[in-house]
Amino acid sequence: MNSFSEPIERELDGLLSLVADGDKRAFGRLYDLTSGKLFAVVRCVLKKPELAEEALQEAFIKVWQRAGSYEAGSLRPTAWLAAIARNQAIDLKRRFSERMADRAEELEAADSVPVMPEADVAMDLSRLKKCLKLLPEERQDMVLLAYYQGWTRDELAAQYKRPATTIKTLLRQSLTVLKDCLDG
Amino acid sequence: MAKPEDMEELAAEFALGSLPPVERREAEALMASDPAFAEMVKAWERRLIPLALALEPVEPPPRIRGAVMKAIAGDAAGSETVVAWKRKASAWRLATLGASAIAASLAAFIVLGTPKGPLTDQRYVAVLQAEGPGPAFLASIDLASGSISVRTVGAPPQPGKSYELWAVGAGRDKPQSLGVIDASFRIPASTLGKIDPAALNDTLFAVSLEPEGGSPTGQATGPVMFTGKLVATE
Repeated sequence: MNSFSEPIERELDGLLSLVADGDKRAFGRLYDLTSGKLFAVVRCVLKKPELAEEALQEAFIKVWQRAGSYEAGSLRPTAWLAAIARNQAIDLKRRFSERMADRAEELEAADSVPVMPEADVAMDLSRLKKCLKLLPEERQDMVLLAYYQGWTRDELAAQYKRPATTIKTLLRQSLTVLKDCLDG
Repeated sequence: MAKPEDMEELAAEFALGSLPPVERREAEALMASDPAFAEMVKAWERRLIPLALALEPVEPPPRIRGAVMKAIAGDAAGSETVVAWKRKASAWRLATLGASAIAASLAAFIVLGTPKGPLTDQRYVAVLQAEGPGPAFLASIDLASGSISVRTVGAPPQPGKSYELWAVGAGRDKPQSLGVIDASFRIPASTLGKIDPAALNDTLFAVSLEPEGGSPTGQATGPVMFTGKLVATE
């Protein structure tokens, strides 16, 4: 399963409104349906297993706390959940690396450039991939490294041996290209 | 005058995940205080999320489920914590109340919010805005490194004039100038040393419009354009 099917999205939608009312059984079901996907998301950003597990745990606690602010129709449930998990993982990564005098260990642990997913069962994924391919290969890699592994401009600058300001410009140009392609 | 940060690009980079720590916290502060910015972030999350959802699921260790269920067990209802979350969001709105209510003088100073305890080694962001749409400046304080940085987000450039940052209240008999906001605005630790950390959360930050290069008198001479208070970001 590479993406969630419509029936599951609908079930999650219903579960979220139950969770908003404090229904713990619904929350458990929500966990069972989505924890594998969310764990995959946080594990990309956080290579250390104990940090990935902490991020997943914190993400689900946030889901419990914020279910009441989920608005159906604004983001699909899986997208809302994945965004919470990603943000939690990135925050944890930033906090962690800020406190490390030497980040080399973590940078080393980050493996090579992630491969663009092959499976494109979902329409919006194939569209996004088509738009990404408008970018020169190196910029695709930068976008994917930032998105999947939460690399900052500075980390990308070290990897690509360019000033961070240049990376910022390249990323922002790339994102503008993506937006024009996706929204156009 | 620093080039104003493009909000759309900031939202995009937040969703992408490439923002360095300080800018990421500033973006989070903006999301909580500026609904238009929060919408931009949401739109970007929607655009990029297919990548995340394309990942093959990975089964987490079973003990995580237990830990999560245990963590929420004390909560009679999710709504209780939701209230806490909403309270946090409204604290943000309070912290970014407009300046016009404070009148065009730094002397007329209103304490916003309730003082909590003294600040410790945390990081704080103030969203400075006028009454009206959108934030103008973001001020970040990192007590650990002892620096304040200010980023221009929505304040219009004022040819022939300078924006100057002030700290007001919290035991000061008059506003303390923190410097003119220019392209590389960063207040050295020595200036921050004059600010009592214990009083930081009672401090109102204000930006006035001054002659080019800053106030000639050491006191604000121009109108107060934007104000904000610090809010902890973690």
